[in-house]
Amino acid sequence: MMEKKIMDETFTVPIGPQHPALKEPSHFRITVDGEIVTNAVVRLGYAHRGIEKAVEGRNWIQNLYMLERICGICSHIHATAYCLGVEQLAGVEVPPRAQAIRVLTAELERIHSHFLWVGVAAHEAGFDTLFMYIWRDRETVMDLLETLSGNRVNYSVNILGGVKFDINEEQADAIRKGLDYLEERTNHYLDVVSNDAMFLQRTSGIGVMTRNQAEVLGTVGPTARASNVARDVRVEAPYGAYFDYPANIVLEERGDLTARFVVRIKELFESYRLIRLILDTLPSGDLETRMPRRIKEGETVCRVEAPRGELFYFIKSNGTDMPERIKIRTPTICNMTSVVKLVIGHQLADVPMILVGIDPCFSCNDRMVILDRSDGYKQQWTWEALRQHGIDYYHEQHS
Amino acid sequence: MRKNPLELLRGLWTTFRSMLESPVTYQYPEIKRPVRERFRGRHELKRYENGLEKCIGCALCAAACPADAIFVEAAENTDEERYSPGERYASTYEINLLRCIFCGFCEDSCPTEAIVLEQNYEVSFTSRRQAIYTKDLLLVPVPTNGRQTPMKVPPGSFERAVPEMEDAK
Ligand code: SF4
Ligand code: SF4
Repeated sequence: MMEKKIMDETFTVPIGPQHPALKEPSHFRITVDGEIVTNAVVRLGYAHRGIEKAVEGRNWIQNLYMLERICGICSHIHATAYCLGVEQLAGVEVPPRAQAIRVLTAELERIHSHFLWVGVAAHEAGFDTLFMYIWRDRETVMDLLETLSGNRVNYSVNILGGVKFDINEEQADAIRKGLDYLEERTNHYLDVVSNDAMFLQRTSGIGVMTRNQAEVLGTVGPTARASNVARDVRVEAPYGAYFDYPANIVLEERGDLTARFVVRIKELFESYRLIRLILDTLPSGDLETRMPRRIKEGETVCRVEAPRGELFYFIKSNGTDMPERIKIRTPTICNMTSVVKLVIGHQLADVPMILVGIDPCFSCNDRMVILDRSDGYKQQWTWEALRQHGIDYYHEQHS
Repeated sequence: MRKNPLELLRGLWTTFRSMLESPVTYQYPEIKRPVRERFRGRHELKRYENGLEKCIGCALCAAACPADAIFVEAAENTDEERYSPGERYASTYEINLLRCIFCGFCEDSCPTEAIVLEQNYEVSFTSRRQAIYTKDLLLVPVPTNGRQTPMKVPPGSFERAVPEMEDAK
């Protein structure tokens, strides 16, 4: 009798919010039948820092520094998204040289972020040798960023209306040399992740996401591109210097973890190409333009391609020197739903790999939304209407 | 692996080869890696050649700081007891390094280039109180030819608070 009862019950494994295997706090409830996952629930919000509220009480320049600190890995892209939005609101045109330097730093950052991810994912797969090697090589790009900006993280490249520093020939040569080394190593890593028999056992055919699933779940960035969804803001809606230096989209068809490795590593080659091109044809001219202290009233939406996918900023100004509202949506939140769907049917031991496959960054994505409809507002949106409204709004802002 | 023992040897060769490579790590703290020029480390309050403090207690840095990390209180200078050129000096200057995000905006906003984020990155403390760096910790030592502040100066010799600067806009 007793035995039967136990047999019938499924077992729920709670993981987190504090757990040795988690790098950042989040909570997963994974229901298993034996070793097989039958359901998964994720709960986020443990690292909510109230940054959106904090920026409402600071002026436009101070917020640049605040927002750059949302993410320690893709800090530059946050500052870029914010700057692009505010410059658009103010109607300020940034000089081409400054735009090129922004994109150059963004691509260096993408290299460092992807290297970091491959290392973390390899570690998660139990392949610590790869983790060590790739992090050693990551130091090359970290050093390059440090040579440019003086810092390994939070490079502080952007200011409103331009960039803070120039690139001289000496630095350009250092970057070229670093990239040559990285390119050689990247070829090796591409070979490892696509041919190493042991590694493929952990990645091949695991967490397969079909193209349709990827679209329906609203995934972004390399996670979507590994499932052959052509979604890359740099290509779809170029911003800044991507008009002059167009990026090529990298796609993979299989949609499993191997594909996610391959997409990210192949994107590195694309970044190398872009950086070399920018260094060879860096436009001359000023580094900054004057920005007004108060920003004209209005609102805008700004999208950029962070290393993890589409980063979204909504900025609203009421004409003072402080923003009225800034809403940030980071790529991890878009990709998180895919994790809870994909783990079903897999072994419990594959869950960390599938989770890490989206390159999650928890503290970046924790935001709070309160809907207070005590004023009796009743209108209901259908999914299609809401989507159409979003598209119309975006076109209106960017026409 | 059983199918191809050569694979195993290739893997071991990679491991073996790395024994011949020189290490990429530094033996910190014996050997310290130099920081780059634009590095933003712990703040320092600078002095002029003659020993006077550059900070005039204007609190612009405190107003600029995105993290509200700086507290400045100003007092009047006299020619009997002069700390800095001009009318006022900072009688209290505190930076809470637990709040500071090392953005360097204080440095940008200072009219006299008094506060500079220098190269010291070894900032650790064992209590919250210790995290508050006071003026005597931040202020650099008096240069060799300078005098200690407060100093007695001839009346009317240091009226101007903000010096002439090359790249001031
Ligand atoms: S450090 Fe500079 S900005 Fe701050 S109070 Fe002193 S003079 Fe003013
Ligand atoms: S570095 Fe930034 S956060 Fe730190 S004291 Fe200066 S302005 Fe404030």
